[in-house]
Amino acid sequence: MVRALGLSLALAVLLSGPASSGPVGQGLLVAAAADLRYAFEEMGDAFHRAAGVPVTFSFGSSGQLAFQVEHGAPFDLLFSANEAFVWRLAERGFVVPDSVQLYAVGRIVLWVRGESVLPVQQGLALLVDSRVRYVAMANPEHAPYGEAARQALARSGVLGRVRGKLVYGENVGSALQLVQSGNADVGIVALSLALAPPVSSVGRFWLVPDRLHDPIRQGAGVVARSPRQGEAYRFLRFVNGPQGRPIMRRYGFVLSGEGTSR
Amino acid sequence: MDLSALWTSLKVVSLATALSGTAGIGVAYLLAMRHFPGRGLLQAFTALPLTLPPTVLGYYLLVALGRGSALGQWVEATFKTALVFTWQGAAVAAAVPSLPLVVAAARAAFEEVDVQLLEAAQMDGAGAWQQFVWVLFPLAHRGILAGVTLGFARALGDFGTTLMVAGNIPGRTQTLPIALYDAVQAGRWDLATWLAVLLTGVAVSVLLAVSRLGTRLV
Repeated sequence: MVRALGLSLALAVLLSGPASSGPVGQGLLVAAAADLRYAFEEMGDAFHRAAGVPVTFSFGSSGQLAFQVEHGAPFDLLFSANEAFVWRLAERGFVVPDSVQLYAVGRIVLWVRGESVLPVQQGLALLVDSRVRYVAMANPEHAPYGEAARQALARSGVLGRVRGKLVYGENVGSALQLVQSGNADVGIVALSLALAPPVSSVGRFWLVPDRLHDPIRQGAGVVARSPRQGEAYRFLRFVNGPQGRPIMRRYGFVLSGEGTSR
Repeated sequence: MDLSALWTSLKVVSLATALSGTAGIGVAYLLAMRHFPGRGLLQAFTALPLTLPPTVLGYYLLVALGRGSALGQWVEATFKTALVFTWQGAAVAAAVPSLPLVVAAARAAFEEVDVQLLEAAQMDGAGAWQQFVWVLFPLAHRGILAGVTLGFARALGDFGTTLMVAGNIPGRTQTLPIALYDAVQAGRWDLATWLAVLLTGVAVSVLLAVSRLGTRLV
């Protein structure tokens, strides 16, 4: 037993060698909200080709990522689904204040699986239909897309009748997963996810009018502790520049002045 | 990417098992063989990780070991690297919920050892350490092995605590369970299935090897 313990300890020490030389290497490490997954995987490849710097993404919920930045996570950049999180971090010195900027305004959609018989084009009124038993959305307590979904339900006057059907995902990605796996009938998820090829090929959606919820203003900022701030700024400019904007628009992230494509 | 998660998991679980094994055997020895003030409190504290949800446990650890805490700053000054958001931090995160399992099994094994044998060793002039190495440990080794194995299994499957303390960083702290979660979130069901098979394969082969080792040791 002592030998087994010693062996595992020796193994751990041995294995600690290549710890720092993972795929992350000299590239950028970017914390990004779950709604950005597909758009940013494309963005990362485009940036790598253009700038020669590889980008690794850590996708999660905006609240958790902000909490991790505060506690010393080695991220170079934070792309939050809620610009308020980034401003709050900037005020306390965790994010470079001058770097904070808007990079997207998010939209929400009603989403059903391709084989579903539910007429998603009916819009939010569909949710009171008795065939709809569960409606998945992100948790409105902390997820920006969840808060927008709650506002849309309230402003369209169906919240009271839908409340008992709501199931919450930790973030907008887990909400979509609840519908994709067939456990919920309808989801209120991000347009950016609904437009992504792996998702659009298996479902249908209806765009929720943006007058029904406050704008989902998504903000980004350079992490103050990052040792690669020059490259971090470059990626930030890339996302908001002539090469990044078309990718963002294709995934439904429209900035004011760009006009809505839908 | 998939293989880097396997590699990370192997590193994390090896260190985690070593940590929870060593600490667990020590605590189990104290609880079983020694009487001291605060023994009840120590017992309660080591069982605590069983009752707390993994994310709550992760939150405590992140606050306690984070770069803003006194302990975190000490670690960073001493080892020139922060503990949180590293694979070593992931190992600490995975070791904590494994600890109660090691303690419970090892403690029961220690308590089953006939006290007269220890007294005989003592009469022959053996000190506490010699009694532990030559009498107590050999007689209790099966229970200890069972506890460390349980601890290993728990550490391999850990998700919530690790995610909180070490994050989801591909190539650095993304273990197999976290990679699996990430694949499901991305809708990559094929990759998720493959990772699940891989994780199960690692678990089964290690558990099989340990049970072989266990029967050979008897």
